[in-house]
Amino acid sequence: MSKKSALFTLAAGALAILATPVLAAEGNLTIVTSFPKDLTAVFATAFEKKNPGLKVEVLNKNTNAGIKYLEETAGSNTSDIFWASAPDAFEVLKGDKLLVQYRPKAAGIPDKVGAFPINDPDGYYVGFAASGYGIMWNTRYMEAKKLPVAKEWADLKDPVYFGHVGMSSPSRSGTTHLTVETVLQGLGWEEGWAEWKAIAGNFKTVSERSFGVPDGVNSGQFGIGIVIDFFGLSSKASGFPVDFLYPTVTTLVPGNVAIVKNAPNQSAAEEFVEYLLSVEGQELLLDPKIMRLPVNPEIYAKAPAGFPNPFTDSSIGAAVKFDLDLSKSRYNVVSALFDVMITYRMDDLVAATKAIHAAETALQGKENPAAAALVAEARGLVGKVPIDAATASSAEFNGIFKKKRKKAEDQATGRQAEIEQAWDVEVRANYGKARELAEQAKAML
Amino acid sequence: MSAIQEGQRGQRDGVVIDNLSLSFGNTEVLRGVNLEIAEGEFFAFLGPSGSGKSTLLRAVAGFGPKPRGRILINGQDIANLPPWKRDVGMVFQSYALWPHFTVRRNIAFGLEERRVARAEIARRVDEALDLVGLRHLAERRPAQLSGGQQQRIALARTIVVRPKVLLLDEPLSNLDANLRVQMRREIRELQQKLQLTTIFVTHDQEEANTTSDRMAVLDNGIIQQVGTPMELYDQPANLFVAGFLGTANVLPEQGRHLVFRPQALAIAAADTPAIDGCRRLAGTVRHLEFLGSIIRYGVEVEEQLILVDDPHRRGQPPFPPGKSVVLDIPEGQITRLPAEVN
Amino acid sequence: MPASGSSSLRTPAIVGLLIALFLVLFLVFPVLRVIQVAFQDPHSGAPTLINFVDFFGNSLFRESFVNSFYVATMSVLMATVIAVPLSYFTTRFNFGGAALIQTLGIIPLIMPPFVGAVAMQLLFGANGSVNLLLDRYFGFTIPFMEGLNGVIFVESIHYFPFILINLSAALNNIDRAMEESAQNLGCSGFRLFRRIVFPLAMPGFVAGAALVFIKVFDDLGTPLLLNVNTMLAPQAYLRISSVGISDPMGYVISVILVGFSLLSLWFSLLALKGKDYATTQKGGGGLMRRDLRPWEKAGCYAVVILILLLVLSPHIGLSLLSIGTIWSYAVLPDGYTLQHYVTVFSHASQYISNTLLYAGLAALIDVILATAIVYVVWRTGLPGRKWLDYGASAALAVPGVVLGIGYLRTYHSFTVPFVDLPLASWWVIIVVAMTIRRLPYALRACTAAIQQVSVALEEAAENLGATKMRTVRRIVVPLMTGGILAGFVTSFATAAVELSATIMLVARESDAPLAYGIYEFMQSAAGRGPGAALGMLAVFFVGLATYISHRIIERGHSQNSAAAIVAEEQQ
Repeated sequence: MSKKSALFTLAAGALAILATPVLAAEGNLTIVTSFPKDLTAVFATAFEKKNPGLKVEVLNKNTNAGIKYLEETAGSNTSDIFWASAPDAFEVLKGDKLLVQYRPKAAGIPDKVGAFPINDPDGYYVGFAASGYGIMWNTRYMEAKKLPVAKEWADLKDPVYFGHVGMSSPSRSGTTHLTVETVLQGLGWEEGWAEWKAIAGNFKTVSERSFGVPDGVNSGQFGIGIVIDFFGLSSKASGFPVDFLYPTVTTLVPGNVAIVKNAPNQSAAEEFVEYLLSVEGQELLLDPKIMRLPVNPEIYAKAPAGFPNPFTDSSIGAAVKFDLDLSKSRYNVVSALFDVMITYRMDDLVAATKAIHAAETALQGKENPAAAALVAEARGLVGKVPIDAATASSAEFNGIFKKKRKKAEDQATGRQAEIEQAWDVEVRANYGKARELAEQAKAML
Repeated sequence: MSAIQEGQRGQRDGVVIDNLSLSFGNTEVLRGVNLEIAEGEFFAFLGPSGSGKSTLLRAVAGFGPKPRGRILINGQDIANLPPWKRDVGMVFQSYALWPHFTVRRNIAFGLEERRVARAEIARRVDEALDLVGLRHLAERRPAQLSGGQQQRIALARTIVVRPKVLLLDEPLSNLDANLRVQMRREIRELQQKLQLTTIFVTHDQEEANTTSDRMAVLDNGIIQQVGTPMELYDQPANLFVAGFLGTANVLPEQGRHLVFRPQALAIAAADTPAIDGCRRLAGTVRHLEFLGSIIRYGVEVEEQLILVDDPHRRGQPPFPPGKSVVLDIPEGQITRLPAEVN
Repeated sequence: MPASGSSSLRTPAIVGLLIALFLVLFLVFPVLRVIQVAFQDPHSGAPTLINFVDFFGNSLFRESFVNSFYVATMSVLMATVIAVPLSYFTTRFNFGGAALIQTLGIIPLIMPPFVGAVAMQLLFGANGSVNLLLDRYFGFTIPFMEGLNGVIFVESIHYFPFILINLSAALNNIDRAMEESAQNLGCSGFRLFRRIVFPLAMPGFVAGAALVFIKVFDDLGTPLLLNVNTMLAPQAYLRISSVGISDPMGYVISVILVGFSLLSLWFSLLALKGKDYATTQKGGGGLMRRDLRPWEKAGCYAVVILILLLVLSPHIGLSLLSIGTIWSYAVLPDGYTLQHYVTVFSHASQYISNTLLYAGLAALIDVILATAIVYVVWRTGLPGRKWLDYGASAALAVPGVVLGIGYLRTYHSFTVPFVDLPLASWWVIIVVAMTIRRLPYALRACTAAIQQVSVALEEAAENLGATKMRTVRRIVVPLMTGGILAGFVTSFATAAVELSATIMLVARESDAPLAYGIYEFMQSAAGRGPGAALGMLAVFFVGLATYISHRIIERGHSQNSAAAIVAEEQQ
């Protein structure tokens, strides 16, 4: 900073570029993170205060861009820490051999939060805070539109929420992926997807950034968002007229931190991990702008009233035993399916849903088995998923969506674009047909 | 007889400018201009740049700031009409041919605006093209034409709509010297043929002399004198007109100015007897310029330089510089002007 | 063109080669590194065109293509509807505040589009101020910001200045006799505009329209912020940046974006061939400005005020957001505070100084390069010199994301000596990216400038014994000063709000420019206010810097205004 303002006062001489002083490598800790400034700034400032002479450089990227960045720059790595929510992101980096093992010394942290292990069993990344997905809503919006509060995922299927719900896409946000996967594991592959599509039929939008969802709820663009807890809690703490709750089916997962392989400042990186897990670091999580669940159960004693405590309240995140291996086995397929069926075909899906809602309303209180059968068939078509659970998890099929070929002889048949095109054709046809059937049913009433 | 010519005859009328004044902001550019231009007359506005001549012409066409006073055409006051309702045709100094139209469409434009039938337009455009002798260029774009051709097309575009008055704003200034002489003749012939009331703005005295029936000399937003070219040359109303139209010698005498042209003087050796009816001046030759048909002497008379044009004949030696000479001016060649109060 | 023997070509050849080298290193090569993936089999890595077959075989991509085309075309139309009255009124009528309109009209360009989209969402969104009021008093709402129409709405408001600037410049260049002669022949009002004025201003319009088309076609931020995914740029971005998925389609789309933009540039050049009327006109004289009758004046003011309100709505929204406490499902914020500005001043001053430094350096390098390029292209007989021009202009067709990824991919393994940092994470790379992205603007300004310098003036200097180098330094460059400064201003102002390439290249927060800072603030609930405050500061500082440079230009007695330049933008 000082080097640059000094240079600036020298008045932008092109020649001055070469005169830029060299940064001392030892004094810097470079953190790549998907966390917002509100969180990172608090920790960076506190950590710098504790370690005079150390300069923390925070590099804010969304999870995916962060991974991309570490991959692209691995040849001459300049980052020390990767700090983000989704364990899956760390799994990707671990798979790419871009992390190093580190086992923290901090005491008082249990093995699990909810049903989820806090730390990577292999020791490549460490959980420092827990978070779970839930439902966030804008109280003014709900009041104005006279909407009831939704308490479970299934509630969001209700036609009253048509056009009021927002969510991010699993291909954009690692934590969203977790939520999608949680429901899929809770209800099973087919049932799970049918559930998601029934909810998605009420979507107003699928946001590109995970923050796009709380942002939309905060400003009142839509009333209800499917968001990770800290977005809801910190928005509320910032004064927005919003609230948040956990549905029964949710997974509490740790937010993680890992040391990047070939880190320029490994010792500072280790110290930072220790700081996150220290009592002092854990307490920082309760800052109103942060609001994440500490992994050290003792910290909850200092939490404000009404703050959820997963270590005492067993209803949070315990309903599903999250299978991380299953999630990993079909990670990219789930993302691609969600985008093809929901993100990119929102209009078709919403149109079909609207027709079904109309037919169902018309059907209410009437006895018309033929029409009811048509509506049911339409629902079935909307909910249909192009591949079965076994295919989704098959290694060969996943290979098509794989980032890098590990070996030259790794061959997969078919290309992602080809497969997505086939899905797209099928899904659109289904939505179109469903809409037709629903309209047919309504005409019969 | 062409339709254009017939049309022109039917609408003959003159232009009256009645006490016209005009300002750009706080600067008065025209001050109480009064003029009457007869029907079918070729009338020139002559003056140095900044004299207001173009402003006056543009005021007649309806461009520029709104003037005070009246402009009558055919007895009708047009001073408050917008340009597109005045029915006066103007040829611009830059020709202003629209580059995105062909020659034909340029000429047809005014007729199209008047909602003339398509077939009629085609006929009249051809006729106008014939009139300027450029029918073979009808499908060209303006950029493909020479300066003289552009000039003719601009003229054709204006006269094809049979305006009540034709306004020409320095139409020859963008042409080279030879073409200028040819074009001014063509314009004059066309004007005669169509009997068009025409106002021509120029700063070139020779152009005005050769084309116009009458002209007005303007300076400083005021009309200095109106008359035929010869009247103005021989009887200038003031020193400005005298000096602007050709070379004039000016001698102050008893609160008046004596003005006479160089060719009105006879130069002779100092011992030559005096001539009756002539005023005699004695002086010394300071320089001479041999101009072919004449020799122009600069003769110093009582500390003032008098220019004398002496016809040259073969074998007659000139008076060398330093030679004492006498100059004789017939009284009838002298214009007496009151001394101006500046 | 001065006769040039082979010996007099040595200096231009060296300069030309250096520039070519710069373009190859920082434009051509990085872009090729990115788009080569499009030509590889996803599994075997063998060269293939199968990905393009897949692209056109995929209904989603075909739809995205059509959508992008539709949005770009409609945005050009909308932008035209906004820009034409503004430019016509201000150049043809005596109209109070014409200068103000011309200045305010350009302000949208100095705000990052995504910031504008945030603010417009609050005003025009489904539950934004306007719709809440409509709903309350009239019981209906207008979906301004929904889907493709929302994108068109935001884009046309953001990019219309390109048409305004170009069209105004063209209108100012028309010989007034062109219009007067038409009036003299009986034409007036809208017919005059349609038949004479607009066709003559066409080159300026096409130049601006082509630019709007390309910018909208390539723009990523706006559709992303409005959650519109079925367009090409967002599809490319989403696919390139998805977790763990390696989908060559993102790169295929990048190739198509670049190709299509180049095609549009080429088409606009073709359309303009032989139609550069402004330079073929002679004489002329000042503009014809007509006085308006009172009711006409009232009408014009109504139209202009309506348009300006619309155009400045992002700024209005942003300023409210920057001083508002909580703004949620309400017509106006709940309360007002200056706290956001305090936060920004205490935390974010480095964003401002970084931006002024980066954009200043980039604009400086741009005008140096551009001056050298136009001299080589217009004043020497160097073989292949036109390619320098084409190469530098082609930067216009490269989406920022593609350039950013290209730099990371190409230069991350190259360590800068002495600094001991990879080139791709040294702050200078951000300057380089801005330089490349804004070079076409400076190039256009300098091209216009050198065309106005008579070769005879140079020949006179050489005749009096000045060498080529001294002639360039003492005659050519001083005479081009106006154009060069105009190029500097445009490059600077637009570089200062650049995000798409820089977001990929910021390696340390302390190196981040303003646009990145705003983006980062906007990613958290509590950061919206400070983000908006930073956005207002960006508008203020960039506007101030632009204004100061304007004044310097005017003092230099040049006919070139910063406007006339962007302006000349690929005529």
